[in-house]
Amino acid sequence: MIRGLNSNLRRLGSLTTLALGLISPTLVFAESPVIAEDRFEEQILPILEDHCFACHGLGASKGGVAFDKFEPAEARVQDQLLWLAVLKNVRAGVMPPADKPRLAPDELSKLEQWIKYEAFGIDPDHLDPGRVVIRRLNRVEYRNTIRDLLNVDFDAPSEFPSDDSGHGFDNIGEVLTISPLLLEKYLDAARSIINDAVPKTSGAPATERIAGSRFRPANSEPASKDVGRRPLALPYKDAARVAATYHAPHDGRYRLKLDLVASERYVDGVFDLNRCRTIFRIDDKEVYRQEFSRQENKRFQPSFEVDWKSGEHHLSLEVEPLTPDLEPVRSLTLRLDGVNVIGPLEREHWVRPEGYLRFFPEETPKDPTGRREAARLILERFATRAFRLPVDSVTLGRLVDLSEKIADAPGGTFEIGVGEAMTAILASPRFLFREEGYLDEPDARYPKIDEYSLASRLSYFLWSTTPDDELYQLAAEGRLRQNQESQVRRMLADPRASSLTHQFVGQWLQARDIEGVPINAFAVATRDEPPDPDAEQRRQRFRELRQKEPGELTEAEKAEFEEIRKRFTGSRQRFQDLELTGELRRAMRQETELLFEHILREDRSLLELLDTNYTFLNERLAKYYGISGVEGPAMRRVELAPDSPRGGVLTQGTYLAVTSNPDRTSPVKRGLFILENLLGTPPPPPPPDIPALEDSEKRRDGKFPTLRESLAIHRQMPACASCHDRMDPLGLAFENFNALGRWREQERGGPIDASGTLITGESFSSVKELKRILVTERRGDFYRCLTEKLLTYALGRGLDANDVQTVDDLVERLEREGGRASVLLSGILESDLFQRRRRPEPAPAAVSINTHPNQFAEPSGPAKESQP
Amino acid sequence: MKAQSDNRPGALSRRQLLRGLGAFVALPALESLGGGRLLAAGSSPASIATTATGAPLRSAFFFFPNGAIPATWWPEAKGAEFELSRTLQPLSPVRNLVQVVGGLNQKSAEGGPDGAGDHARGNATFLTGVRLNKSATDIRAGVSIDQAIARKIGNQTRFPSLELSCDPARKTGACDSGYSCAYQFNISWSSPTTPMAAESNPRLAFERLFGAGAPGERAANLKRRREEQRSILDFVMDDARSMERRLDSADRQKLDQYLTGVREVESRIEAAERFGESPDPEVETPEGIPSDYAEYVGVMFDLLVMAFQTDSTRVASFLLAHDGSNRSFDHIGITEGHHDLSHHQNRKDWIDKLADIDRWYVAQFSRFLQRMHELRDIDGHTLLENSMFVYGSGNADSNRHTHDNLPILLAGGGGGTLQGGRHVKHGSKPMTNLFLSIAERMGVDDLERFGDSDAPLSDI
Repeated sequence: MIRGLNSNLRRLGSLTTLALGLISPTLVFAESPVIAEDRFEEQILPILEDHCFACHGLGASKGGVAFDKFEPAEARVQDQLLWLAVLKNVRAGVMPPADKPRLAPDELSKLEQWIKYEAFGIDPDHLDPGRVVIRRLNRVEYRNTIRDLLNVDFDAPSEFPSDDSGHGFDNIGEVLTISPLLLEKYLDAARSIINDAVPKTSGAPATERIAGSRFRPANSEPASKDVGRRPLALPYKDAARVAATYHAPHDGRYRLKLDLVASERYVDGVFDLNRCRTIFRIDDKEVYRQEFSRQENKRFQPSFEVDWKSGEHHLSLEVEPLTPDLEPVRSLTLRLDGVNVIGPLEREHWVRPEGYLRFFPEETPKDPTGRREAARLILERFATRAFRLPVDSVTLGRLVDLSEKIADAPGGTFEIGVGEAMTAILASPRFLFREEGYLDEPDARYPKIDEYSLASRLSYFLWSTTPDDELYQLAAEGRLRQNQESQVRRMLADPRASSLTHQFVGQWLQARDIEGVPINAFAVATRDEPPDPDAEQRRQRFRELRQKEPGELTEAEKAEFEEIRKRFTGSRQRFQDLELTGELRRAMRQETELLFEHILREDRSLLELLDTNYTFLNERLAKYYGISGVEGPAMRRVELAPDSPRGGVLTQGTYLAVTSNPDRTSPVKRGLFILENLLGTPPPPPPPDIPALEDSEKRRDGKFPTLRESLAIHRQMPACASCHDRMDPLGLAFENFNALGRWREQERGGPIDASGTLITGESFSSVKELKRILVTERRGDFYRCLTEKLLTYALGRGLDANDVQTVDDLVERLEREGGRASVLLSGILESDLFQRRRRPEPAPAAVSINTHPNQFAEPSGPAKESQP
Repeated sequence: MKAQSDNRPGALSRRQLLRGLGAFVALPALESLGGGRLLAAGSSPASIATTATGAPLRSAFFFFPNGAIPATWWPEAKGAEFELSRTLQPLSPVRNLVQVVGGLNQKSAEGGPDGAGDHARGNATFLTGVRLNKSATDIRAGVSIDQAIARKIGNQTRFPSLELSCDPARKTGACDSGYSCAYQFNISWSSPTTPMAAESNPRLAFERLFGAGAPGERAANLKRRREEQRSILDFVMDDARSMERRLDSADRQKLDQYLTGVREVESRIEAAERFGESPDPEVETPEGIPSDYAEYVGVMFDLLVMAFQTDSTRVASFLLAHDGSNRSFDHIGITEGHHDLSHHQNRKDWIDKLADIDRWYVAQFSRFLQRMHELRDIDGHTLLENSMFVYGSGNADSNRHTHDNLPILLAGGGGGTLQGGRHVKHGSKPMTNLFLSIAERMGVDDLERFGDSDAPLSDI
């Protein structure tokens, strides 16, 4: 997590010079390099000579690291990147290698102290909170914020382009850019949201929607309560007559608007010529007659006006098939979404539009001055909440001017004017970005962020949304910081806290990806059976034929193609129940999220994320996992049998599928995932030129090798072994779980061996034993890794050398207090990193705009990254 | 939109939008759609993005992921007498307007001191030709060639440029080897720090180009939308400026992106007024993202055809999928992930599948080219004859992550300036040389160097 350190190890030699050129502000407070160098010679060098020089000194430079090759020698103590890597690898037991003597505890401690306080120059009394680049709301935050401000669900994930992420999270300020396209979308989104939320007049005819689901076949029972809100689907091919009744509240004129969609299911290359006739009747009088052919999902909204007496009225829709003899190809269907009844239209029956009082709680004054004042009050309230801090009078004046101008234009109303100003507020950078102020603390090296900023940091971290009334109120009174603990408790108990799980776990454990990861159940399941060369041959032939345009195929080929297609369909059906449906994928995602949420809410040990005797399932997922006794669609806690291999995120469908290839497991990716996301010791990336595994997948002795066998061949190459010795044993431990997350005993007809030895020396024979190792011997690595991940997410920036102190403190507390979740969470929230900020650096007078398109950027390594 | 049009033979009649497009194409005069009006206005120097015969000259850049299997990509013979290779076979209907361009490199995408990360580099270097700053957060690439062209000629059309993508989903977790995900998903960059997020939703792309609503209502909707946008621009511009004064330099950069966006909307509104009522293709608005990838790619290509046909823009980029994409191609019988396959360990069956995928992508591109070749431009030539399209990948041999001799096609007649129907080997030259040549033809006369270019590419 600390910026791909291990990955940089290989290149350290060449980067040293770069690192030299960068002056870390933290060094200002450290002792002079000369003194640090002296102490280095005296205390650290002997440790390195004893333990490291065999490979990283005296002419040896394994992995590109040599501790005695620095020019000038003082550069060595200043190379933060080097020492960060040393710290990480030594602590994680990756170095010295398992077969070499470990550092004695006092040696380790001496090295740690020296790195932190001298090489990094950390001043524990004045921790540098780092540089957080102003954060734009990401898509999720935008959607939630709009929901809480205006009670509108705006589908930001579909409307806006994807947010870029850095360090695995999509809330990193530095990476969240605004392209011209996004800016344009922000303008349009502001408009459409306000259009949906804010009424344009003070009164309008009442509108009631009769949902399509309320329509029942004529002469049958009226809709019972459990019909649900699904629209009513009427196939073109089936004669039908459906009806509903409506109770008109008053005598008067009403407008009825039918809401129909002529839908179809797309079938490639084949067309559907079916037609039907539709008749809509109001009180048995025909008002609409329309013939439908295929209409490409077009919506039809004819409207009719009727004079009604108060009381019951009957609406009916009839479908009459016109092409009974034609084959149905695309399932042409008329979908009745509903009927809107608007009225009575007479003015005396008008009602306040929905949501009116939310925005216009007071009667609007008639006189211009009064109206201006009223607009000012409404806009001040809204802008303050949208900007998450009080709005200044100049801005407010401009907003009121804008609203007045629009209200006074032809066709304008007071409400439209106010809506216009609100649109401007939502398009403003003060809404889209989270600007953070700080307290006036002249003596503090790093001042505390102000209370409004604290409210926003808390709410966007824990809720992914804007501060609510209570948080805002406390901030306005300057009492939030002193009440932070109780507020955090309140926030975690709130349903909005599920955003933390959804966003953080969704990205940290990649649970989010389960919804889209392509896994071919047929291919995976086939692999769990003995190989079938005939089927493979058919597949190849299918591909060949598929390459040709339909017109090029001979009759014989067409027949062959169809035959193969049929056989495919046949064998696919055998595995249909294994298909990872949307329902299953959602259940898997929830399983992971519920475990995290449970641990958080019950303040349990974070180690239960890795090893537990319970999990969360519904009937569908339990069956999929082969666990009996779970009924119904609701997810609930399920105790696992003592001999069950499941329990913890590593035996959940999310991890097991997300790390797989579309057709098989990938022990390498599974191992890498654990190193990257759970132990925090990722290996360097693969070399650019990956050697071919000439023999690894060839048949031997007439049978295909198992994955374990292929990987073993791979590891015989020294270039591969150094990293794959770390990844493969971890990943292979999960081979009993296929790419769909299901338990299996065999792969390609051979038994599965899940045993292994970790690079750090621990051996295991099963998944269960590996999990034990992770929560005992490797516990510290896990605490550290999770701490780094959550801290990154909370701060919205990558971590660097300065942050080691905070992470160390948190890990120590977790060790002391049994890994309780609250220890980590409150530790982060109370840390200086979360509570403080750097003072703004003086900005240059003019903003430079890149004018030359083709600057050849300096080839620079990641050295710069570890600098604040 | 009538039913029977669906039964026309050939692949082009298969998709919803194209059927609509058929009706659209039947409109009597293209001039009524904007292209002619522009020329009539006579406001622009003839040399800018215009052919010698006075028609719009278009350029676009297409990216496909994970390189191509060299053995099946490259034709054996060179010059005009070459035979299309297995992978390029689908190009046969437009062979005479396609050049197979050999010998172009992206040296900036090579690892060098930056080590691993060839997919991120292959992607973001493809159109920029610069070395990327290797960082998960500190993003620095360069301006891409499409944007460099758009800067110069963007004011000639309603949209300075169009960016499309068929790869909207992002995986969580870190991207390629310490590079920010921004590199791996963006080929177009308006500045070294601002990736041009691409539109990936066909409905939204269509509505942005032609307006929301039913045919006939769109121009008015688009006009209203512009007026609504303008109404709040002054406020947000002032707001951004006052905010900017309070921020320090790194934060200012973000505000700067915001302000650039605002200015761009302003100039687009101004351009829209200059060009009068916007064109309205008489087709249904496409739905959102189709679940079928082939259909998705097809619809996006169709949108691009419409954008060019209506002269809504003259420069575009299209990311078919990001480099490193691990999509599987079940519909052509390939269940493995593309990227997984690409490290093929010299297994013949894997290499065959990869070649199939390469060919599938080429086939989609070829359909687009054929479509462009069926449509007449105002000078009587086809749209394809008045276009310059670069189709390629940022890796050459993806198994080895090489960036030499990239698989590149140059399609279109360039308004009579490109000599198609050839396989040309350029030896070993920067890919950016080709960009220079295209920019030059597009009327960008002040670009002496682009990325690592050393001279415009001759013999194209």
